[in-house]
Amino acid sequence: MIPIETHGLTKYYGSLCAVDHIDLEVGNEIFGLLGPNGSGKTTTVLMLTTLLRPTEGSALVCGHDVGREAQEVRRLISYVPQDMAVDIKLTGRENVALFAKLYGISRRDETIDRVLGMMDLSERADDLVRTYSGGMRRRLELAQALVHEPKVLFLDEPTIGLDVAARKKIWEHIGTLKSRGMTIFVTTHYMDEADHSCDRVAILDHGRVAAVDSPSHLKGLLGKDLISARISGEYCRDLPEGVTMMGGKENGEVVFSSEHASERVPELFRRLEEQGAVVHSLSVREPTLDDVFLALVGSREDGSAFDDHKFRTMLRRRG
Amino acid sequence: MKDIFYYFERDMLRWVRGRVSVISALVMPAAWLIFVGLALPTTFTENYIDFITPGILVLTMLGASLQGGSLLIFDKILGFLNKFLALPSSRESILFGKILFITARGLLQATVILLLALVLGASFLSPWSLVLTYAILALFGVLLSAFSTTIALYLSDHDAYAAFNAMVSMPLFFTSSALMPYSVMPAWLSALAYWNPVSYAIDAIRALQEGVLAWSRIGALLFLATVVVGISVRQFRKVTL
Repeated sequence: MIPIETHGLTKYYGSLCAVDHIDLEVGNEIFGLLGPNGSGKTTTVLMLTTLLRPTEGSALVCGHDVGREAQEVRRLISYVPQDMAVDIKLTGRENVALFAKLYGISRRDETIDRVLGMMDLSERADDLVRTYSGGMRRRLELAQALVHEPKVLFLDEPTIGLDVAARKKIWEHIGTLKSRGMTIFVTTHYMDEADHSCDRVAILDHGRVAAVDSPSHLKGLLGKDLISARISGEYCRDLPEGVTMMGGKENGEVVFSSEHASERVPELFRRLEEQGAVVHSLSVREPTLDDVFLALVGSREDGSAFDDHKFRTMLRRRG
Repeated sequence: MKDIFYYFERDMLRWVRGRVSVISALVMPAAWLIFVGLALPTTFTENYIDFITPGILVLTMLGASLQGGSLLIFDKILGFLNKFLALPSSRESILFGKILFITARGLLQATVILLLALVLGASFLSPWSLVLTYAILALFGVLLSAFSTTIALYLSDHDAYAAFNAMVSMPLFFTSSALMPYSVMPAWLSALAYWNPVSYAIDAIRALQEGVLAWSRIGALLFLATVVVGISVRQFRKVTL
């Protein structure tokens, strides 16, 4: 049984096409849906979790159509949205108990203890969630999502707004869940996290799938080494032969690609200086998923409306 | 069915643990009764407390129910609703859980008013009519909380909901028979008041004071509640985001 498959999955909001004919097949793996804000990741997840009706196309979760057999799909999945919705006036145990009750779990207390234990929350289970850190709240949501042992777990930006240690821990837990046979469908715009943790990723750009493969394969597609540079001043694009400019990133880094890059650095440096640019640094490095994204999609400039809700959520989690 | 209770339990726990909101919910209606019931100079009745208490009871249910819609708004803004809608449990249990909690909370407030009214010298209710008063208030609460919760399903944020609440609650209250009998209203107001659902509940409770069961008013309330709850269930079943 294929955990998730979509056929020409499409969603229009009015005339805006948020998701544009996506065909995906997700096996028993950690599958990452990557893309900048506004690329259609959340819309895709909402359709797969039966919360939004596709305008066109279809999606099957464990063989059940998300439109016609929504009820069956809901029994098989869990969905953790990015908002971090846990009741801060309830204890961790009470939060999980609500879901255990709503899912109609038979051996309830046992199950609650087990999932809290899995997420390393046993010691704090009876404290009010108000006192939990952001990472703990996210793990509590995972615990809620695990009470009915779902076949497929949907996580929308599970690490957004968390500190580095908390992120690492979340990904470790996700890895453990996969080793227990769960399929995990995760969206993120943190390329480095997807690079380390996902078995396969799909890169989404304006609602379209630009590429689907394992991170190492995608990086391999670039084929060449990269030269990362910090440059100021004027330079036209007259580059040494075989060196191509891939683009500039939001952090001011300019990326070039070339075969045998380390041998081309002196020449590139000379060429840039001749054209009047000031070169602050040049270094050769391995490609990352971020570079794959740059090559496939171009600049990561975010043209969508500022999401004030997401911003507020992020601020709230700082505490 | 059990799911309704689980959702109710969640809202109840959250409410009880936010102590300020509990105190405010119990003090507010008392303030209304004292300042409106004792302070207004009236000529049409000897015992204004007896007259105004049904009005304040229904007003309290009205306020509690309309304010209750914001519970769903918050569930929606904060992402809880998404999680609940993705559960296999029936979606209308979310609605009924809210109706149950909002109505129960309103009845608790009504109890404060009834107790206070007795202290202030109201002298109107036999035990039997007290039971019927609760039943009428509950029916009114179900009607209004189903309405407000379903409206909340379609409003995007708290500001929009507050605007809706203000727009609905004040006119409904002031064009009702809460503050004065039909006989002293201007003709245009009494016509308006007669068709106002808030008046259905108030008139039905006032009739109880005289030992009369006002079937037409209770019937109208029952009919309206059935229709609104029916529509609400349909909306909850088919809602997408």
